[in-house]
Amino acid sequence: MKIEVCEVNKSFKQQQVLNQISLTIAGGRIFCLLGASGSGKTTLLRIMMGAIPADGGSVTVGGIAVPNRQLLAEMGYMPQNEALYEELSAWENLKFFAGLQRQSRKTFAADAEALLEIVDMAACKNKLIRDCSGGMKKRISLAVALIHKPKLLVLDEPTVGVDPVLRRKIWLYLRQLRNEGTTIVVTTHVMDEVTQCDDAALLRNGHIIARDTVKNLIAQTPDGNIEELFFIDNQSEAEAPLC
Amino acid sequence: MLSIVKRILGQMKNDKRSLGLLLFAPLLVLTLLFFILSDSSYVPKLAVYDMSEKFVAELENHATVSEETEKPEAADYLEDNEIDALIWSDSAGTHIELLEKNSKSAVALEAIQDTNKALQPTQKELIIDYVYESTGDNQLDSLSFVFLGVISFFFVFILSGMSFVRERFGQTLERMLMTPIRRIDVIGGYTLGYGLLAAVQSVVIILYAVYVLQLQVEGSVALCTLVMILMAFSAVSVGALVSIFANNELQLVQFIPVIIIPQIFFSGLIPIDTIPFGLGNLCYLTPIYYGCTALEMIMIQGKGVVEIWPWLAGSVVFIGVLFLANVTALKKYRRL
Repeated sequence: MKIEVCEVNKSFKQQQVLNQISLTIAGGRIFCLLGASGSGKTTLLRIMMGAIPADGGSVTVGGIAVPNRQLLAEMGYMPQNEALYEELSAWENLKFFAGLQRQSRKTFAADAEALLEIVDMAACKNKLIRDCSGGMKKRISLAVALIHKPKLLVLDEPTVGVDPVLRRKIWLYLRQLRNEGTTIVVTTHVMDEVTQCDDAALLRNGHIIARDTVKNLIAQTPDGNIEELFFIDNQSEAEAPLC
Repeated sequence: MLSIVKRILGQMKNDKRSLGLLLFAPLLVLTLLFFILSDSSYVPKLAVYDMSEKFVAELENHATVSEETEKPEAADYLEDNEIDALIWSDSAGTHIELLEKNSKSAVALEAIQDTNKALQPTQKELIIDYVYESTGDNQLDSLSFVFLGVISFFFVFILSGMSFVRERFGQTLERMLMTPIRRIDVIGGYTLGYGLLAAVQSVVIILYAVYVLQLQVEGSVALCTLVMILMAFSAVSVGALVSIFANNELQLVQFIPVIIIPQIFFSGLIPIDTIPFGLGNLCYLTPIYYGCTALEMIMIQGKGVVEIWPWLAGSVVFIGVLFLANVTALKKYRRL
């Protein structure tokens, strides 16, 4: 699902959080929004999903303007917080959100088992969320975002608090989904994770300061460390494509 | 919508403490009220100075009496000796000095009046009859409709309000709204889910009040239960609506004095037409008024559906208006 973000602005209480953001995210790619805390990554994600309105500009997903309720059935969203019901088990959380996404009851059990296996939570599926560790909650939250096999997956810092072994496993799975045609948009402030993505945009103070394929972005740095791009002087806002 | 209902019931099943508080806390409060408001067997302590032997002898049938040989200073004497009233006479008449106006002084005055009545049997007695008279022995009987309504409303308001605040700040509401679910289904699911729990609470409260505390219900117990269920549904909606204006759980608690306490004034505790400056008309804006008035008509006056339908209709309209207000308010989180 191709995403087109066109001249999007957003302010909160006089503070400009996003400034004339324009982006095109190709379908079937893993796109990374990279930036420090407070740079506007989450706000941009929420506008892309239609969770909050932009002050100006437009967003289309698969050619359809957001917000669109039918489009939401094609999207999977993992917020920065775990956003799970503490008094329900992992299994019950999955079942609830699968129900909201109108997932077939016939396939739910098999899909849920497979997902819990991927996020290494199969053995704890009946454990209440309130009894789970932060990392476990993060993994279940990811499984919830994936349960209805969305065509567009929006993940806000998905691997924070996840151990390196499991993180690798999750990225392998995300790449597998990408190969099957799923578009994935990820935010992170962990520079190492950018190399797992196909394309990336660097956000600073509500501006996109660079955007390209990850390979090209790395090539622009002196030592292959994409983080350097944030420190290059006179790095101005990348030229916005025509909407 | 049903997914939300099932989820709420599932959450409650796994949260035994909240379930316990929802079901048993109102019973505990009612039980306390039952004992606090029950007729006490308090015998007033009275002191007399220079009163006739006949009066003192009769007074002793109604109170514990101590006789003073010198007239004491009332304020210090009453306080130091824990005496409720000092009675003395002079040429102007009989004086009764009391420390302050409260329930103990009322009991003391009643004892003195009973004594006077016994000493003047020829005086024609005032015979007072109430059309709707409580036959129970407990003061709670005459105010039961207030307490049943307010207690039930309060606990459900807290439960639904807190749950909604947690949904918002735990981002589960946002996540839920990032699915194709309609806003009307979210509010419908909430109202129905917590409404069902509140309905169970209402049944438990009314059965406990009637069959355990033996509170008087002149009319139909089933009708009382229906009214309480309607009140509980409106409490769920009020809780959800108020939670939108609360930025955290503490702020929701801070809304209680604003949302709940003024409603108690219109619950029947104070007659509406005695409230000055037309403020009594505000009662029409409070769901508790409709519920408690209907409860009063059933429990005290023994009225049925034919008489109480305007108040039932008021409750239903309130639930409908609050439901639509909640659906609209949810636009803040998703425009669709």
